[in-house]
Amino acid sequence: MAAAALREQLNALLSSMFASGLVDDQFQQLQMLQEDGGTPGFVAEVVTLFCDDADRIISELAALLEQPIVDFDKVDAYVHQLKGSSASVGAQKVKFTCMQFRQLCQDKNRDGCIMALAVVRNEFYDLRNKFQTMLQLEQQIQAQQ
Amino acid sequence: MRLDERKAAVGRVRDQFPVGMRVLAVDDDPVCLKVLENLLRRCQYHVTTTNQAVVALRMLRQNRDLFDLVISDVHMPDMDGFKLLELVGLEMDLPVIMLSVNGETKTVMKGITHGACDYLLKPVRLEELRNIWQHVVRRKFSNCERANIDGYEEWTRPSNADFDHVHSQTPDQCGRPSKKRKEYHSEEEDEGEESNGQENDDPSAPKKPRVVWSVELHRKFVAAVNQLGIDKAVPKRILELMNVERLTRENVASHLQKYRLYLKRLSAVASQQASIVAGLGGNDPFMWMGAFEGLQGYQSFASSAALPSFSPQGLLNRNNPTSFGIQGMSAYRPIQIATGNSTISHSIGDPNKYHLSLPGTSSRQGNLAQGLTTSVGQVQLTQKWFHEETDDLSTILSVSGRANNGVPGTLQSVTNSHLLQHGLVECRQDKVVIQPSSSGSSDRLEGTVGVSSSLMDSCASQQRVVPLSAFSTSASPMNGSFCSNDIAELGATSSGGTNICPSNDLRVARDNKVGATSFGNVILLSPDTVPNQKYLNFGGGSNLRQSMDGGNTDNLLNPKFIWSCLPTSQPPNLIGSHHPMSQRPNNGNLGGTMVGQTTASASTAAPQTRIDMFISGDTPTPKSASDLSFPRVHSELSSSSCSFDGLLNSIIKVEKDDASFSDDLGCDFYSLGACI
Repeated sequence: MAAAALREQLNALLSSMFASGLVDDQFQQLQMLQEDGGTPGFVAEVVTLFCDDADRIISELAALLEQPIVDFDKVDAYVHQLKGSSASVGAQKVKFTCMQFRQLCQDKNRDGCIMALAVVRNEFYDLRNKFQTMLQLEQQIQAQQ
Repeated sequence: MRLDERKAAVGRVRDQFPVGMRVLAVDDDPVCLKVLENLLRRCQYHVTTTNQAVVALRMLRQNRDLFDLVISDVHMPDMDGFKLLELVGLEMDLPVIMLSVNGETKTVMKGITHGACDYLLKPVRLEELRNIWQHVVRRKFSNCERANIDGYEEWTRPSNADFDHVHSQTPDQCGRPSKKRKEYHSEEEDEGEESNGQENDDPSAPKKPRVVWSVELHRKFVAAVNQLGIDKAVPKRILELMNVERLTRENVASHLQKYRLYLKRLSAVASQQASIVAGLGGNDPFMWMGAFEGLQGYQSFASSAALPSFSPQGLLNRNNPTSFGIQGMSAYRPIQIATGNSTISHSIGDPNKYHLSLPGTSSRQGNLAQGLTTSVGQVQLTQKWFHEETDDLSTILSVSGRANNGVPGTLQSVTNSHLLQHGLVECRQDKVVIQPSSSGSSDRLEGTVGVSSSLMDSCASQQRVVPLSAFSTSASPMNGSFCSNDIAELGATSSGGTNICPSNDLRVARDNKVGATSFGNVILLSPDTVPNQKYLNFGGGSNLRQSMDGGNTDNLLNPKFIWSCLPTSQPPNLIGSHHPMSQRPNNGNLGGTMVGQTTASASTAAPQTRIDMFISGDTPTPKSASDLSFPRVHSELSSSSCSFDGLLNSIIKVEKDDASFSDDLGCDFYSLGACI
């Protein structure tokens, strides 16, 4: 009973995430991998990895952009990494923002980079919240089974 | 990866190939790596992951037979993915797939040019990974094809003892394929093969870190091999000579085998071209090439015991102080017409000459010196070799020596034996006869010229090689002179050569020349001293010649004397240049000069000198000993002798030389000589 409600809640959450473009079909593929591949906890593992990694990268980026002389090569490298990991996890919005971020970085546009970082951070936080909710729901569902 | 895992993987591989394919995934991004790993597992590959390129490289170096495929991210902090790609490509010959979120054409192009077999964009899709096993199969097939070709080539050259063990291997055992093969074998077999692999250049032999053969390292290696002689070069000795830290005998053995295969490949390519040219006929520079190729093939054929297949390609020149070296030299000569001459000079046993030729190949000088010292001994060696190959040859050699003494009849008798062998032999016989005449006197030279021309013709007919005929026609007068010189040397040599090379006359001739040269030259020097002296004079200069004539008799007897003569007349190098000059002039002036005698040649020499410059180093001795005509060849030879690496270059040079020569009769003659 409770499990069914939780599952419904989870499905609604995921639907909204897909619908809003927060995640794309790469994330769907990860889910399929977990279900078909018999690797329970895989999505949770990847999502957790992503959240930790992205959080670290965003902190690094913030520190870099606060420097009096910004090392845009370093910034670009971090953004590139964030883009890669967000693409791998299917975090579509973060990925798109990273692409814009990289362009600003190559233009050596410090203000633009700071703005882009803010956008990325917001999108990431939003996504992380959804992911955390998703993981909690999954845990609850699993606990009730 | 532990043994159990590996065995399990091997077992799976055996069952259904794509399943269990061993993939090493490298990505510094933990998220990407995790996703990639799972996707790969989903494809039922056997996945190993690392987030550091350095670690990946270490794993590959330590267990390079444990992976079939590498997937690497492009952007990694510890090492650029392209660098990893490059190193893996150089050391492991594993297919590498690059992975990046950045799909710019420039970046993708960089990956491809660095050797990536594929370039995937993140996020990687399962569909893409399901197909990556094709790269492993493709690589394996391409390697198998190569191995098959090599194996085939080797089969066609059964004489090559060095390759015998290769022959015994199945094609898929060569190089990378051996890695694949290992996959399908049990652990015990693998261990057995590893010990083998050390000798068989098995790249998958684990434990030893892969040595990166830098240009510098390779240079040392080549120098060591040259010093030892390609046939005598054993990994242990090479290692000692190289004196490089962290280099193991296995490393050297592996590289040596690759080097030999490389030489073989070069020769094969050259021979193909040559054969094509031969088919076309004519005076084209390529003709020489053809002759060269033929020689190589011939050598491989004839040399079975003594001649290493490698040596023919010019490797011989570098390395062989011993008889082999001479043979190899000869082989080269055939390849490069000029080289043949240089070989001859070597055979003559003049240290100076050797030195000269060596200088041409800067790196080889040291080796050459050794070779020179040995060269005298080489003549004997060659003789032995001849004996081994054919009793007739040995007799011929002896005969030639006697013939040199000035008895055409003896030579003829010798030639008769040769004749039995081949038409070429006959030609040689004629040549031999000519030699005596030439040795006899300048007047004789004229007569010789006539003979030589006839000889040339005969050679041409025998050889069937178009070049020869062209030579005869173009240089008929010149030919006489040339013939006399060449013939003398060739005669002796050729007799042996004939036996050796049934296949291509030209090739044979060269071989013969080589062998003969050593013999003939030596012999010639002693018996024919006077004529030889004249020739020598050519090399040194007309004046020198005269003086030589005066005291040559003594010199003639001793090969060393010849040397001394040369040096006295001029510095070795100078001599070399002079000789070439004289020879070339002879070619150009052939009729007149030759007839006139060596003195004339000196004057004529000047014009040709420029061409000879190259050759000069090698030419001097050979020319003095054998003939002026050789100088060009020598030049070519010298170029060839420079190094294996320089083979192509030498070939090119030869072509150039040929082109320049083509105008002169001498060129034709050379080609003929080569053909012979």
